[in-house]
Amino acid sequence: MGEKITFKSYKEMPICAMSGADMTYNLTGSWRNVRPYYDFKVSPCRLGCPAMENIQRYIFLLTQEKYEEAWRELMEANPMPSVTGRVCFHPCMEKCTRKDFDQAINIPAIERSIGDRGLDNPGWMKKAPATKKETVAVVGGGPAGLSAAYYLARRGYPVTIFEADAVLGGTLRWGIPEYRLPNDVLDRVVAQIVGSGPITVKTGAALGRDVDLAKLEKEFAAVFVGVGLSRSRPLGVAGEEGRGIERGLDFLRRVNGGEPVNPGRSVAVVGGGNTAMDVARCARRAGAEVTVVYRRTMNEMPAIKDEIEEAEHEGVRFRFLAAPKSIERGASGPLTVVFQQMKLGDPDESGRRRPVPDGDATFTLSVNTMFTAIGEEADAAPFGKLLECDGNLIATKGEWGETSRKKIFAGGDVATGAASVVEAVAAGRKAAERISRMLSGEPEPAAEETGTISIENINTAYFTKGKRLLVPRIPLDEALAGYREIHTGYDDRMLRREADRCFSCGVCNFCDNCWVFCPDVAVRRLEAEYEFDYDFCKGCLVCVIECPRCAISTREEGK
Amino acid sequence: MKKVIMGNHAVSYGVRASDVKVISAYPITPQTQVVELLSEMCANGELDAKFIAVESEHSALTACVGASAAGSRTFTATSSQGLLLMHEIIHWAVGARLPIVMSNVNRAVGPPWSIWTDQNDSLSQRDTGWLQIYCESNQEVQDTIVQAFKIAETVMLPVMIVLDAFFLSHTFEIVDILEPEAVRPFLPPYRPARKIDTADPHSFGNLAGPGEYFELRYMIEKAMEDSRAVIERTDREFEERFGRGYGIVKPYRCDDADYVLVTSGTVASTTRAVVDAMRAEGIKIGSLKVRVFRPFPFDEVREVLSKAKKVGVIDRNISFGHHGIFYQEVKSALYGRTNVPVTGFITGLGGRDVTPAVIRGIAEKLIAGTNLEPDINWIGVKI
Repeated sequence: MGEKITFKSYKEMPICAMSGADMTYNLTGSWRNVRPYYDFKVSPCRLGCPAMENIQRYIFLLTQEKYEEAWRELMEANPMPSVTGRVCFHPCMEKCTRKDFDQAINIPAIERSIGDRGLDNPGWMKKAPATKKETVAVVGGGPAGLSAAYYLARRGYPVTIFEADAVLGGTLRWGIPEYRLPNDVLDRVVAQIVGSGPITVKTGAALGRDVDLAKLEKEFAAVFVGVGLSRSRPLGVAGEEGRGIERGLDFLRRVNGGEPVNPGRSVAVVGGGNTAMDVARCARRAGAEVTVVYRRTMNEMPAIKDEIEEAEHEGVRFRFLAAPKSIERGASGPLTVVFQQMKLGDPDESGRRRPVPDGDATFTLSVNTMFTAIGEEADAAPFGKLLECDGNLIATKGEWGETSRKKIFAGGDVATGAASVVEAVAAGRKAAERISRMLSGEPEPAAEETGTISIENINTAYFTKGKRLLVPRIPLDEALAGYREIHTGYDDRMLRREADRCFSCGVCNFCDNCWVFCPDVAVRRLEAEYEFDYDFCKGCLVCVIECPRCAISTREEGK
Repeated sequence: MKKVIMGNHAVSYGVRASDVKVISAYPITPQTQVVELLSEMCANGELDAKFIAVESEHSALTACVGASAAGSRTFTATSSQGLLLMHEIIHWAVGARLPIVMSNVNRAVGPPWSIWTDQNDSLSQRDTGWLQIYCESNQEVQDTIVQAFKIAETVMLPVMIVLDAFFLSHTFEIVDILEPEAVRPFLPPYRPARKIDTADPHSFGNLAGPGEYFELRYMIEKAMEDSRAVIERTDREFEERFGRGYGIVKPYRCDDADYVLVTSGTVASTTRAVVDAMRAEGIKIGSLKVRVFRPFPFDEVREVLSKAKKVGVIDRNISFGHHGIFYQEVKSALYGRTNVPVTGFITGLGGRDVTPAVIRGIAEKLIAGTNLEPDINWIGVKI
């Protein structure tokens, strides 16, 4: 506290108001009744991603042109961004805050660019050495198995992948046509994962035929089962086994294997999922007129909306509320398929309204080939005796893929039923993390922070409205002429432009606004963060208002 | 060295000669060329000053307040709406006793939107404690800027130099350019007794209770009163050194004049021409230019006008609900001291031309005394 100064006369007064000494005994921070503090939230996109990709963070790193760091951040959550960037149903975009401003960020396009950059820079992936003695068996070389293998290998566990086919990839290879996911991209992804650590691959090793689960349980410290769904569901219509009727997945397998196919001029595809869309579009490429017949309406279709739009764009026709009732075929020539008209009844266990016959109304289609794509199911024979099952699926507990056997874990479609690539990737990673904790005795992780924000928390004055940058594509006639990948991907300029649209919801991206606006110079700008100088912060909260992305929260003093 | 330059550039050259260290301004017609040339001078090294670009006049004067408080010689320029936006800080500069110098180009205030001259912008700031000096030629503008810094730093009050839009700001005249080396002995570097200094921290402009505020206000008025002598001395020293002086007021052919027209700004020059023409016809008329408006030159005005039979005051401004502002001031100077009748004339608002014919019309109306309102006569109004 300064000393009290007594003037002998007013002549000694300074001509303007000023203190006799400095004022450091009364710092402006003492005025404060509410304090701002940096408080990063979880961006909504991240919460929308089944794999919990740190989308905000890798986009931020892109805007800093730190491409390798962005790739590393992404690979922490997903070992195959080049795949998911092409085929994911991107629920992240549904959560994107920018959706409520103009249009969601094109997250899959960004993800794909980062993944491809990682494939183009093999030096970025440094092979992890085997540092652990416990070995882990991974059964199934699809997205779940590859993901589990990757995250175990990166932790130093020697992993052996058992794959029924001659090559890895599973449903990525046989279920997704090349115009969405080219084989050479998948090959490079697989090679990168296999080369990422101590991974041994045994192909032609099918569970139940060549490999016994009980034996694996004895030989390995842990086993992950991610064998997917191997059987197509039957239609349950008389005559479905025979000439002119083919399982959609078998057709896709032949197409993806490069086999020439000729389904004829007129084709029907029964089903409403992604397989149905892929089958229809492949049949279009083989020169057929294609009608997709689905027993509910477009609203209930499980296929990714983008894929439905692409199919329509390519000339696939749709008949809704219809299911095959009977099949008539002669010795040769087209089949005649009678379809029962349906209507929507009460909701089923999936929450969708169940289709029921609409009286006696029917129609017929004359087709050269009818493909069935009404879903796949697991073959429980190889694991049903050892593991508790839920129908044909392996019963798992919680999010970590634990089964009824302590050493055996499961994930992907074999545990969930038909789901998505990203969910399989997430399941593989989580099981790997759980296995690692089990083997090493690491403690369980703390519950993840899930505090997030919405458009109301964004200071939209700082952003200019614009549109999502679409990924360039080849012309329709070129697309239908073969299986060339339709989307050609962003160039560097486009990637940067789309990345710059990100709000960075709830997480500081060093825009300097708090530092610039603080009227008391109470924000200190350090190397990679800011901090408040509470000696001088008087709690005006200008920083909170001017933070465009809600990365600063407030707390009342004394509470 | 003599140059033919516009009034706005005369301001810039005055600032250059004064070795100013910080300039902060926001462009506004019709003063933009003032800071345009100054920013060029800062950029090319001709003037060793920090030029602070800002987003508004409020910020411009605020930046000047900070720079001046930190001990720098500081200048800003503005006009009309810009000056009015500064209003809060106009008061602050006075209370903080900062010797900032500003040039204001007189421009009519909107709406209706106008860029042409009248005096209402600067006169609306008359009670803030800024000294105000109204100029009539480009030479006077340049020289007064230099004088203003010396006056301001002596009495520790800010000074506003005022010039008419276009009639002066954009009119080219011959100006004898002052060089900084020649001015330096007249105007040594600014060394304030108190300034913001991180090595000796104090709080400035802080709270003062009723026990102190009153005295601080008294000291401002004392400084304002003392400034009359300072202005006079500074003008005299300037004249001794550079051969040009301007006075607090400028009487012209008033010694034996029966009629005197009181003027300011560029109208003063035109009026002298009219005086010469009427004198040639044998009419005993003179004119009095009021150069320094704040502090108001009571003694000088009284001395000149008390000898006249009739006084007319030409105002390029209007205090709505009262009269012309110079008219009010002249009347208050004469009140109780003399019975000479004073009549007010309003003309030239919004840049309407005040020609010799207009001024002669005013003079003749004053002399004839017919159709004359006692206080406020609108000259040339079309309604």
